[in-house]
Amino acid sequence: MAEAQVKPRTLPYVAAITDGVRAVLREQDNAFVVGEDVAGAGGVYGYYKGILKEFGPDRIYDTPISEEGIVGLGVGASATGCRPIIDLMFMDFMGECMDEISNQMAKMRYMFGGRVTLPVTMLTMAGAGASLAAQHSQSLEAWICHLPGLKVVMPTTPYDAKGLIISAARDNNPVIVVLNKMSLGMMGEVPEESYAIPIGEANIVRPGANYTIVAIGRMVHEALKAAEQLKDLGIDAEVIDPRSLQPFDTATVVKSVEKTHRALVVHEAVRFGGIGAEIASQIQELAFDYLDAPVARVGAPFSPVPFSPALEAHYVPNADRIVAEVKKQLGI
Amino acid sequence: MEQITDATLLDIHRRMIRIRIFEETAGKLMEDGKIPGALHLYVGQEAIASAVMVHLSNKDWITSTHRGHGHLIAKGGEFDQMFAELYGKATGYCKGKGGSMHISNLDLGMLGANGIVGGGPPIAVGAGFSNKFRKTDNVSVSFFGDGASNEGSFHEAANMAGLYKLPVIFICENNGYGEYTAQKNHQAIVDVADRAAGYGMPGVIVDGMDAIAVFEAAGEAIKRARAGEGPTLLECKTYRYFDHVGVRGMGLSYRTDEEVEQWRKRDPIESLEKRLADQGILSPEAAQAVHDEVRTQVQDSVRFAEQSPMPDPSTLLEDVYAA
Amino acid sequence: MAIVGLLANPSSGKDVRRLVARASVFDNQEKQAIVRRVIVGAMASGAKRFVYLDDPHGIVRNALAELGVPAEPVDATATGTALDTISAARAMRKAEVEVVITLGGDGTNRAFCLGWPDAVLLPVSTGTNNVFPVLVEATIAGAAAGLLASGALVGEQLSNRQKLIQVQIEGERDDIALIDAVLTRERFIGARALLNPEYLAFAALTRADPAAVGITSIGGLLQPVSTTEDIGLVIEFARDEPPAMTISAPLAPGYYRDLNVASFRTLNFDQPITLSGPGVLAFDGERERELKPGQQATLRLNRNGPRVVDVNLTMRKAAHMGLYHRRPSKEKT
Repeated sequence: MAEAQVKPRTLPYVAAITDGVRAVLREQDNAFVVGEDVAGAGGVYGYYKGILKEFGPDRIYDTPISEEGIVGLGVGASATGCRPIIDLMFMDFMGECMDEISNQMAKMRYMFGGRVTLPVTMLTMAGAGASLAAQHSQSLEAWICHLPGLKVVMPTTPYDAKGLIISAARDNNPVIVVLNKMSLGMMGEVPEESYAIPIGEANIVRPGANYTIVAIGRMVHEALKAAEQLKDLGIDAEVIDPRSLQPFDTATVVKSVEKTHRALVVHEAVRFGGIGAEIASQIQELAFDYLDAPVARVGAPFSPVPFSPALEAHYVPNADRIVAEVKKQLGI
Repeated sequence: MEQITDATLLDIHRRMIRIRIFEETAGKLMEDGKIPGALHLYVGQEAIASAVMVHLSNKDWITSTHRGHGHLIAKGGEFDQMFAELYGKATGYCKGKGGSMHISNLDLGMLGANGIVGGGPPIAVGAGFSNKFRKTDNVSVSFFGDGASNEGSFHEAANMAGLYKLPVIFICENNGYGEYTAQKNHQAIVDVADRAAGYGMPGVIVDGMDAIAVFEAAGEAIKRARAGEGPTLLECKTYRYFDHVGVRGMGLSYRTDEEVEQWRKRDPIESLEKRLADQGILSPEAAQAVHDEVRTQVQDSVRFAEQSPMPDPSTLLEDVYAA
Repeated sequence: MAIVGLLANPSSGKDVRRLVARASVFDNQEKQAIVRRVIVGAMASGAKRFVYLDDPHGIVRNALAELGVPAEPVDATATGTALDTISAARAMRKAEVEVVITLGGDGTNRAFCLGWPDAVLLPVSTGTNNVFPVLVEATIAGAAAGLLASGALVGEQLSNRQKLIQVQIEGERDDIALIDAVLTRERFIGARALLNPEYLAFAALTRADPAAVGITSIGGLLQPVSTTEDIGLVIEFARDEPPAMTISAPLAPGYYRDLNVASFRTLNFDQPITLSGPGVLAFDGERERELKPGQQATLRLNRNGPRVVDVNLTMRKAAHMGLYHRRPSKEKT
């Protein structure tokens, strides 16, 4: 049966998360999962389904609805010899635990003169598009990218979801893995074995010649659609998925802009003060002489995420808005 | 209940003296402008840290507060590295990056002073969870104040400790003030121990000015935690001689001098020394010798700190991340 | 005068015995609720005036305020220690209070009697051992007190004078015990609770009650002595020598221990017993006084203690006299 090739396994994004968590629990004896509804229910989005059965109650724990307590548990346990995975059901709930994230988890190592390591991984869910309204739909990555001591990654594909979770758990720093709820059903290739994606390395998901689009999170997929539309206008867009926002792979982006001379940054988060402002600013500082136009930015308008599908569709950036912004920048 | 031995009494006594003289010296150095920033001094509360810590090993964790020097000293902290840290020197416990409010030493099981009121309890729960997960018989002890008992973090942490029956001891050092606000103006109850029932754990009160009473009560709570019987809330009634920040203790607008004098009459060091003398365990002369010896150590360590180098600016960006 | 005194010990029911033996917890909300019910009962039974110890927790003050009942705090110290109870007792005596309702355990009532040894008391249990207090619903305790304070009922037979042990300590102030005085060979007062049987040396009991907890239960299991008999009981514990017998007794609530008894005998009134240090004297279940090596203490039993109201008898008499009856008026029918 020489020609019988093993077909690559495909999984939805949600199952890739599970696969990543499973790989971590297998390879690290001192790893465990804590979070709201994670054990008995398998998580509100189901990505812990089967973990309790496979690993038993010593490795996954339901917690009270106590986000500050959960993050504090992650800090204390990671400082004392464990490698916890803590689950924050929605990124919006960071408001409930920002002290533990910002003042304890991010800073403890520095404050202690480097004499503690905090190998804690936090999984959390961002993203609009499900009519979950203003408190369950936000993309707040800018809050945490502003905090020295944290690493922040945003997987956009099933492959990246598994690989980045494994990398996060192997890292000796607090890493926040920002997942996207609208991507949970997306199918993609996910190898059986454990693999890591280096944190801090961007992925050029579509090479192109004369336009750079830096797309954050789920906007990668919208950027790819936009790139197809832009082809008809003679624009060959290069789409870059940074995957890691902190640390940020500036070099890859700058190198691309040096080649394309134009750039646009797109994210779901509110445009004002979003991570796109930082990226645009860096491009302008480091590649100013290569730029033929100011760096464009696409993001959500300056309002809370609305509930009604009619309003929400207008709120979340998409391929059409990316194309429109490119055209505006090019004057076409 | 564990009977206290002479050796333990002398150990507690020495820890209390070490805290008292360290703190009085540090306060003066701050007033003289030699130590930068803000110090929250532990004077008056020495019995608590000292009598709890004699029950713990370096593998037992503690979390502390903004008033954290006493906890670190009682846990075995060295004066050299402590003064150096307060001075912001490279030889300090935190290489000059934490200062008074973040002073720590994980080798001693001390998970840091904490500049956030209520910052400690969730971390102590994490350490207690870790102890249980790693199947050790170690405990974690969270020191916090009456003020912190109003923070949500305390309530979340206490609930989780009760839920998972963690080996955590919550030690409330109730000194009657949350920063500059008297307890009667910041909470509807007087006994923080009353809150324990809400989290499925026993809550007990002990005189925090009496080292032997603290030793006995803390010993029971720690024994219970080591045996897997879960957390305890132990409230120690105590008093802060000095101001919330710095030294000045008298002539303050938010408390009376008479109140301070009342509490000073129950000074934990004086009352312990009297009983040690009564029982023939430590003569007043021998007690004085401990004071003198510690004072010399403090002076030597201040000199060490003053002669230590400042951190090189090149180290500014070190220790943000681990490799 | 119809004055009822109110005293609630905020510290009772909170010590280390909650941890060691899971004794009852009385939080201060519960104590405040009890005081409120006491006041309601007393007012329904004729009490007009209240004086109280204004403790730092405001237990009585808040209960009075809830009901809108005017009352005067007595002039007492506010140290947050037993001294406040002692000074409040003195002040209540001076104010000629008819009957005092105390909330606490044996320790609270002992402290009260240090300030006013022969008061008329109605002790409601919110403490740990609670041998001295009576087990009665607070409303009815208040009612009985109200009946006596208002003069609706009079008569010494409605209360019983209690025994006590007077303790003289060489070179220091005197002390008392209402239930038991113990010498333990521990060295320090520490966390107060008396929990280590292996250090017990000697106990003198005003009563020996097999239906109670604490040291008195040991005597009760050896040879019961009631509150009405004019004798006490003395127990010598075996420490180094082999015991005459070993008794399993509840040393604290929920806390049975084996106790090695060398001997026991009855104790007559005024018969002095001399003990010497080093050691700690425990009264009514709590370590109270440290004795230096060689320091002596002398114990004497008598019946000079407080009068405790017999709630059952008082209420039966009130019923018999129809004090709560109201007949329909003839004009209206």
